[in-house]
Amino acid sequence: MHTNYSLELIQINKIYGSGATEVRAVDSVDLQVNPGEIVLIMGPSGSGKTTLLSIAGLLLRPTSGTIHVNGISTSILNENELARIRLESIGFVFQAYNLIASLTARENIQLVMNMAGARDHKAQERSQELLALLGLEERANHLPADLSGGQKQRVAIARALANDAQLILADEPTGNLDSKTGYEVMELLCCGLDREKGRSIVIVTHDHRLTDIADRVLWLEDGQLQENAVGMM
Amino acid sequence: MAKLAWRNLTQQPLRFAISAGGVALAVVLILAMSGVFAGSEEHAVLYMRNQPAELWGMQAGVSNLHMSSSILSEETVQQIQQFPGVEQAIGVLYASAGVDVGETEIYSYVIGIDPNAPYGGPWSLVEGNGSPGLNEIAIDRDLAYRYGLTLGDTVSILGYPLTITGLSEGTFGIATNVVFVNKTAMALLMDVSPQSASYVLIEPKTDTNVNSLENALNSTIRDANIMSRANFIGSDQEMIRQMGADILQMMNVIAYIIGLLIIGITVYTATLERAREFGVLKAIGANTRQLVSTVFIQSYLIAGIGFSAGIGLAYLVSILVARLSPEILILIEPRQWLSQLPVLVIVTGVASLLPVQRIRSIDPLIVFKA
Ligand SMILES: Nc1ncnc2c1ncn2[C@@H]1O[C@H](COP(=O)(O)OP(=O)(O)OP(=O)(O)O)[C@@H](O)[C@H]1O
Ligand SMILES: [Mg+2]
Repeated sequence: MHTNYSLELIQINKIYGSGATEVRAVDSVDLQVNPGEIVLIMGPSGSGKTTLLSIAGLLLRPTSGTIHVNGISTSILNENELARIRLESIGFVFQAYNLIASLTARENIQLVMNMAGARDHKAQERSQELLALLGLEERANHLPADLSGGQKQRVAIARALANDAQLILADEPTGNLDSKTGYEVMELLCCGLDREKGRSIVIVTHDHRLTDIADRVLWLEDGQLQENAVGMM
Repeated sequence: MAKLAWRNLTQQPLRFAISAGGVALAVVLILAMSGVFAGSEEHAVLYMRNQPAELWGMQAGVSNLHMSSSILSEETVQQIQQFPGVEQAIGVLYASAGVDVGETEIYSYVIGIDPNAPYGGPWSLVEGNGSPGLNEIAIDRDLAYRYGLTLGDTVSILGYPLTITGLSEGTFGIATNVVFVNKTAMALLMDVSPQSASYVLIEPKTDTNVNSLENALNSTIRDANIMSRANFIGSDQEMIRQMGADILQMMNVIAYIIGLLIIGITVYTATLERAREFGVLKAIGANTRQLVSTVFIQSYLIAGIGFSAGIGLAYLVSILVARLSPEILILIEPRQWLSQLPVLVIVTGVASLLPVQRIRSIDPLIVFKA
């Protein structure tokens, strides 16, 4: 089946454990994200947001249900094939930045391009371009330890964009940043940076200010997704 | 990934240095040990190499100089000497005995030579003369130096005092110390005829085919075994090699286990330390091959650097030892360390297996944890 969605989740269930300790973390979730759309998923702690995002990011197999990324069904793919899709089609932004400590900002960005098979000069060009777009030119040769939180998250965003992924998944991207810096960083991700190319973004967050930049806000509670979040916040 | 592997190692320079140094030490151990044996092998056959005899006669059934006892009767010696095609044949007596140098006894190969013989004695004489009279002896210069002896001093063999009248060179090794005494005196001590010999050093006539002479001697003189110099040398080296082989093999195994543990532990620790980062790499799309290659590159970097440093160190050690203890000849040849290379490659691969297993089991969901 071919779809035009950047991300499509069909009847996703995730049950942790079994018997008395069973937790239904994601409960019959359906979700379609259109190209270019920014979707915000909010909800109380423990409602299953991270679990849902891990499933959408092909990092966690659901107990049942189907995931399509850019129209490709992922159910029958093996680990390496899933890794390939994560590398080329999905960009991740995490609360903890997760940069490689021994590599400079520039090298962190180039690494994912090299992993995808890009030649060095092309990776260099692209990383230069991204560093400039994110205002990080002066920090290019610094190790993550020498960067501020906002700078680290911008490097992480550059890394997520390096392979021109059409789907960006972010889990609490502003969680470790003060609200001003967080908002600036997210605005950069959502409003600038060639978004006219149709990149979709799914953001899991507690940060209410981000509702401003979202096209759609969803509410997750007890693993169940509600389309219209208005009034629940 | 190579860059990442390199950075992961160099971020902990001390640990990197220690582990590469450990590998280097294991390599030095292996090379020095095999070098000592190769050196002993070479030392042991210097006597054979440096005599002009192309054929060597010995008692039938004997095919070695070292660790052998050979005696040819007066008649057999004469038979060889008068054999057509033989230019000259010099008989020497040969036995092992302790040489009492005052402080201690040095286990030695004692060669009894006729003072008038044109060869058979020391091939390189530093001082005095190499044709000992009845109560005289020629010993190695380094041995003499070590025990504060010089020309005119006395040493003894089996209680018989002998005056040092010659100092030779290249005759002192950890496995082989060669001294020269008077053949007649030695015959008395051994209770054999002075005209008999342990070995006969045969120089063929110039127009004689050495091979045919060897065959003719062997088929005519039943009491003797005649060997070409090359075969004789080969046979002794083979014997010494076999004597050393077990020890050497054990040392090699120990050294390799040390190397294996060092590389394994280092790379495993480096992997554990960066478990989260490997989880991140997995999450953002690194495939198994890329992750695993990072581990292997780290291992082979340590092994390669350690190995190169080890070879350099081993050569350095051999030079230093040659300066400080000339009796220990450490012979290191490219073929020795080249032959270790495939083993190191395998050992390094094995050392990487545990860290590889560890990396494969890292859960990429770690990226969502704070
Ligand atoms: N590996 C696991 N094993 C068992 N239960 C788990 C596991 N991971 C998550 N859970 C449970 O699943 C539910 C959803 O967890 P999840 O982390 O997805 O929530 P969340 O909405 O991201 O919470 P938060 O806002 O605190 O990050 C919780 O009840 C949690 O305890
Ligand atoms: Mg969460």
